[in-house]
Amino acid sequence: MTDNEAIIACLNGDRNSYKWIVEKYKYRAYNSALIFTGNREDALDLSQEAFIRAYRALQRFDQKRSFFTWYYQILKNLCINYLHSRRRRHHFSIDDPDHQYLSPVENSSMSPDEALEKMERNKLIWNAINNLDESDREIILMKEFQDFSYKDIAETLDIPIGTVMSRLYYARKKLVKRLGIINE
Amino acid sequence: MNNFNANCEDIKIAMMALIDGELSEDDKIKVNVHLEKCPSCAKEFESFQSLKQETETMKLAKLPDEYWDDYWERVYNQLERGFGWILFSIGAVIVISFAIYESLKEFFYNPEVSLPLKIGIAFLAFGSVVLFVSVFREKWMVRKVDKYRSVQR
Repeated sequence: MTDNEAIIACLNGDRNSYKWIVEKYKYRAYNSALIFTGNREDALDLSQEAFIRAYRALQRFDQKRSFFTWYYQILKNLCINYLHSRRRRHHFSIDDPDHQYLSPVENSSMSPDEALEKMERNKLIWNAINNLDESDREIILMKEFQDFSYKDIAETLDIPIGTVMSRLYYARKKLVKRLGIINE
Repeated sequence: MNNFNANCEDIKIAMMALIDGELSEDDKIKVNVHLEKCPSCAKEFESFQSLKQETETMKLAKLPDEYWDDYWERVYNQLERGFGWILFSIGAVIVISFAIYESLKEFFYNPEVSLPLKIGIAFLAFGSVVLFVSVFREKWMVRKVDKYRSVQR
């Protein structure tokens, strides 16, 4: 089944097809919400709420677009409103003991010391990403952690693919520079 | 990406697509040829490649399976309840408005009361009922999701 076939079935009242869509995208949806909120429970609640809102707005979905990029915009607005209502701007820190969101390094060829070193390096990179400007941070996170293609990013941010590449270039350039400074 | 010139500025942007695996075979050749003869771009490309290698191994931690077991059920229940809430809200507005109408029947049928006042009171009562049902629903929803409701202030 394709997304569009599932959506047409949903519009005809088949909720099992919507289940198929939710099951397909729930992990990406949760990760996206987690990046916005920095809290597991909030990320679960908001990603589910966004699926509910998407279902209710399905009539307005343009089937020429990708479902997830459309859903992502609903989720993003929901997360921003939620954070605004709580008056907080959350860039969660990996050093926060309550926010251990990066996977431990799992590489059998690494010694424990190397794994620890890699984990520390990951923390530095994560913090460097979180300290970027909002637009740079957003595009890096979409590409590296949310599995968006250039086409998806272009569609979501409503910018040409060339702009996606140039924004990625300048964001990565800043990141390379900052990580270079950190390494010195 | 296509239609770019092999000058440094364009190549730098095209490097992103090469690193992210979004470049066509023809454009890959074009970028690689440039990188072979331009040390400045080649150096920058290496740094981007190193960054990509590092971020590729960084993954967000997965949630334990138990968090996912009832994910769809929770979405489904909310979808079902959404329809229930609409019916509940309409029903509550009708019933409460009818009760108010019955209790104010004498007022509405009193010929000594002016029509604008009757219309004003009717709007006031109906608006209050709609607001009451809406606030009740909101409070109920907030109470259900508020993790801190048991905290004593």
